Amino acid sequence: MIWLTWRQFRTQALIGAAVTVAVAAVFLATRGSLLALARDMGYTGCTADCDKLAQQFARQAQSQIYGRLLFNGDALLFLLPALIGLFWGAPLVARELETGTHRLVWNQTVSRGRWLAVKLGAIGLATVAVAGLLSWAITAWASPLDKANGWIVPETFTARGVVPIGYAAFAFMAGVTIGMLMRRTVPAMAVTLVVVAAAMALSIVVLRPHLVAQSTYTGALTADKVGGISLSINDPARRIRVEASAPVNNAWVLSNDVVTAAGAPWAGPYDPAKCGPQAPSGPQSCEQWIASQNLKQKVIYLGPEKFWPLQWRELGVFLVVSALLAAFCFWWIRRRVA
Amino acid sequence: MTMTSAVVTEGLTKRYGRRTALSDCTLDIPAGHVVGLVGPNGAGKSTLLQMICGLLQPTAGRLTVLGGDPISGSPRIGFVAQDTPVYAGLTVEDHLRLGAHLNPSWDDELAHHRLEGLDFDPRQKAGKLSGGQRAQLALTVAVAKRPDLLLLDEPVAALDPLARREFLQGLMEYVAESGTSVVMSSHLVADLERVCDYLIVLVKSRVRVTGEVEELLASHHLITGARIDPAKLGPGRQVIQARHTDVQSTLVVRSTAPIEDPAFSVDGIDLEDLVLAYMTEAAESGRDRVLEKQR
Repeated sequence: MIWLTWRQFRTQALIGAAVTVAVAAVFLATRGSLLALARDMGYTGCTADCDKLAQQFARQAQSQIYGRLLFNGDALLFLLPALIGLFWGAPLVARELETGTHRLVWNQTVSRGRWLAVKLGAIGLATVAVAGLLSWAITAWASPLDKANGWIVPETFTARGVVPIGYAAFAFMAGVTIGMLMRRTVPAMAVTLVVVAAAMALSIVVLRPHLVAQSTYTGALTADKVGGISLSINDPARRIRVEASAPVNNAWVLSNDVVTAAGAPWAGPYDPAKCGPQAPSGPQSCEQWIASQNLKQKVIYLGPEKFWPLQWRELGVFLVVSALLAAFCFWWIRRRVA
Repeated sequence: MTMTSAVVTEGLTKRYGRRTALSDCTLDIPAGHVVGLVGPNGAGKSTLLQMICGLLQPTAGRLTVLGGDPISGSPRIGFVAQDTPVYAGLTVEDHLRLGAHLNPSWDDELAHHRLEGLDFDPRQKAGKLSGGQRAQLALTVAVAKRPDLLLLDEPVAALDPLARREFLQGLMEYVAESGTSVVMSSHLVADLERVCDYLIVLVKSRVRVTGEVEELLASHHLITGARIDPAKLGPGRQVIQARHTDVQSTLVVRSTAPIEDPAFSVDGIDLEDLVLAYMTEAAESGRDRVLEKQR
């Protein structure tokens, strides 16, 4: 059974291995020069003005080849689960059912359960290996940049650490399950793509913020914290929206609201004499006026220290869902498929 | 007469949702024969064979295969599925290695010997084989497993006459050498006539007639004569089919005793006409689908 699995999967396996090795090689080969850049710019080992140096380093690196590498690495890890689900997962059972070869192979001296177990085991392992290696290479490579830019923000977090393994395993199992139920390869691939994209989006938007305890910051809204003001002079209700800068560096800000001292949301009304085009000294008078209103800034966020707990928990969720899908596949293939 | 059974079914039923593929089928397939399972398309032949090899689970009824419950992945059953599926991307040699890896009872010598006799290129991709070659490959994989019961689901339906003959010849050689019990389904009687020594006619899940081919041929007669009243044929004579024109009647009659009556001409009957008589009867008694006479 292992021989047959290898024989049927070897082309995809070789493509997967070649891509993984090539990508890992590119990132590991350029890691040295990225670290050298951080050192040369004084960011590595800095003792003072580290935030400023971090920003300068990040800007400098982005403007060079590293910016493109980072973008491509992130894009690859965002797309990898879908690719695995489409090309490794969906055809696995669907193609056999579509071409009738399940009637050939299940009439050899091998039970359907064992057939599926070896297929899922071998290709599942390949999935974990490819996702793990790629994520490891890119996480290691990007660590100086992530330290400057923050690694808990969704666009970085999703393509770092161990969560790509969870997404890939889930996508593979979702592809297998959908293929088994739909029994046709191409429609199963289309549905798998939609399901994997939806699952990842849902996880990022709905699930992830609740996997670890959120931190809350509440502090007086002083003039220096007012980052942006938007208002409309034609609005009779004289509503005003104030954007305050986040009090924590490199955090994933879930909400950032201006509230009254009692805690209720605040949106004006503004004083036209202080804010807006009639105000005498531009935005400064408005900032001063806002600061005098006894307002508070309330920020709900996940700090960078939550990275690893969040990584393991999200991985756990996706691995549990993958295991449930696998269990369903074993049940279904014994009872309902023929 | 004692006869060991390869397959026994009792009230066997398979439903897919509302559609019934096989309903309440009771039959006994003897071991040690090449059994032809004949019936029109939709009679439930494929469903029955797939339940015997454990690919499908019955909805209701009892099924005993080689004295036990049917299980998929049994070493004792070889199955050549309809349209003889093979892996298009794998070579001929790969299929033999597949068989060798997946079957403890694999007879590699038999497999290679068979394919050498057929002049196959072992490095050829199975997807590039002709229909006849594909069927031969599927048969080779099934028989090299050395099964006790070989099931073939319409193996030659899609083949041209020459490939059909070669396939059946290969099957016959294997059966003569191994003595394996075989059940082969077809809706073409001519194919079965060449290889089968036992016949089961299945129409709409019902067994219409069953028995050894020689016995069936000896006990059925084609009677023609001027307007015969079927009731006057006498006891022990069962009219299977009767056709009347103004001046002449043609009857298919089952009778173990010879029919000697100077009023009629009594002829033997070939297997195809015999099967058609039972199917036509079944079609007229119910509103079953009629088998077209195909050659």
